[in-house]
Amino acid sequence: MEKIIQVKDLSKTYKKKKTKEIVKAVDSVSFDVYRGEILGLLGPNGAGKTTTIKSICGLLVPNGGSVHINGYDSNKQRLKALNYISAVLEGNRNIYWRLTVRENLEYFAGNRGVNRRHIQDKIDELLAFFDLKKKETELVSSLSRGMQQKLAIAVALLADTDVLLLDEPTLGLDVETSYEVRDLLKKIVEQQGKTIIISSHDMPVVQDVCDRTVIINGGKVVADEKVEDLIKLFDTRAYSFTIEGQLSEKQTRLIQNHFPIFDVQDNQVQITVEKENDLYTMMDILKSDQTKIEKIDRTTVDFEQVFMQLIQKEGQDDPAVASH
Amino acid sequence: MIQLWHLINANLRKEYIELKRYYPNTITMIVQFYFIFLAMLLGIHVVGDPQQIDTNVQYVIVNYVIWFFMLTIMQDLGYVILFEAQRGTLEQLFMSPLGMWRILLARIIANLVIYGVIVSVLLVLSMATAGEWLVFRIDVVLPIFLISILGMLGIGFMLAGLAIIFKQIQSVLNVLQFILMGLAFVPLSVAPYLIFAPLVKGIDMVRHVMIHGYTWLDFSFWDYSALILNSAFYLVLGVVIYLKSEKVAMEKGLLSQY
Repeated sequence: MEKIIQVKDLSKTYKKKKTKEIVKAVDSVSFDVYRGEILGLLGPNGAGKTTTIKSICGLLVPNGGSVHINGYDSNKQRLKALNYISAVLEGNRNIYWRLTVRENLEYFAGNRGVNRRHIQDKIDELLAFFDLKKKETELVSSLSRGMQQKLAIAVALLADTDVLLLDEPTLGLDVETSYEVRDLLKKIVEQQGKTIIISSHDMPVVQDVCDRTVIINGGKVVADEKVEDLIKLFDTRAYSFTIEGQLSEKQTRLIQNHFPIFDVQDNQVQITVEKENDLYTMMDILKSDQTKIEKIDRTTVDFEQVFMQLIQKEGQDDPAVASH
Repeated sequence: MIQLWHLINANLRKEYIELKRYYPNTITMIVQFYFIFLAMLLGIHVVGDPQQIDTNVQYVIVNYVIWFFMLTIMQDLGYVILFEAQRGTLEQLFMSPLGMWRILLARIIANLVIYGVIVSVLLVLSMATAGEWLVFRIDVVLPIFLISILGMLGIGFMLAGLAIIFKQIQSVLNVLQFILMGLAFVPLSVAPYLIFAPLVKGIDMVRHVMIHGYTWLDFSFWDYSALILNSAFYLVLGVVIYLKSEKVAMEKGLLSQY
């Protein structure tokens, strides 16, 4: 697949105003985005997600590394690169509330140097696609948050760029509208062949919509995998043991030592297995105090659990978490 | 070039629509202009030298109009940055492949066109009401005014650059309007070194047209050179400072901060 965005060794530091302390927001972040995919960019607050997004959009100059969009450096050839990317960065605040739906679309198209008369058909198409046709003459201030969000995405789509970057596209939306936005995003990729980057805390959205995710924590990439592969990875290695009685102190200590990710609740012990022999080790631990195993289940994990486990694991591996 | 035309067109439409939407503010502005012009046309009889009524009326009104437009140009770009940052649309504007400085240019051209029409109509209306008609060489005044505008545009860009980095510059903008007033009213003959300041040469030439009846041929090559060089210098300097400020804001991550 063709790479449309290449993020290479991206680094950005800030100086704290009061303490003058240098803080690493992102540290040698590298990943590629392929044409026609939906990529989820995830990370906890302060992980370096926003810094990465803004560097991709050319709104932030990195200290090191580069971002190339369709071959153009988003820093050194910013205006050329912007021909290939549009974004919704602040959701419904990205549009003018005292203009109508259609006026917003016309204005932002004009801001990219497009003739208003030449895009009327495209605007009609987008209004129909986003189910905003009936609201086209209404002021944005009178629309619901969901409609405002859809309009903000429509404005970005009208730019007709190859890449669409959406920061928290479902933030503050009710469940129904969130599902609607998810469907629209899938359709945009299917019907228009766009590449979409989504930054979100909404894990069900990421699991449902994204093909691949890049997870950033402490300013570094901790995972760059297909969503299904990540789930499979954790899914196949997570086991739940149902035992008779409860674990002894010795067993609890041994489990703690062997399995960094585990959970004990009454007679249920959940472990995440990293090596082939780990399952046998667990059985040996249980056998050591003659604990009877009633049942072994492979547990089902959702993407949210995968994300949490990755973040926690990374936190344990590298306690020096950068903040922004 | 055609893209710039569509950009100006889009911004002209937006500014016009917003003038309509915020109509109480627009009506207040129109009424204010009408009464200021009327007061100048009628009031000058009371306070001015009776021997020079015609000259006084023309001079005061034209100076006021020039001061108003220069103030608009100087402050508007800074306010555009402030308001857009407050609204949350600033970064969206920065995502335009035409560049933010062109959007700012389009905004100021749009405002000049709109205010130009409003001020012209109101001036004619107030002259008709007062029965006092201004007679001056608009073919001489207008080009001098337009060239002077370019220099002020440079100052506007400098302030926009300041606004991108510091955001809270309302007090600076307020103070500058008084400095501008000083520059507009001090004749070059009193302070010749002010020829290096923006706007002063232009206003001085307009003053010669209004009071002494100067025409194109009465100005020397030196006058025109000073006017053009002064404006070109401040325009280029302003755009360069603005672009540098943009870069600093992007390096420090200040664009979306307010």
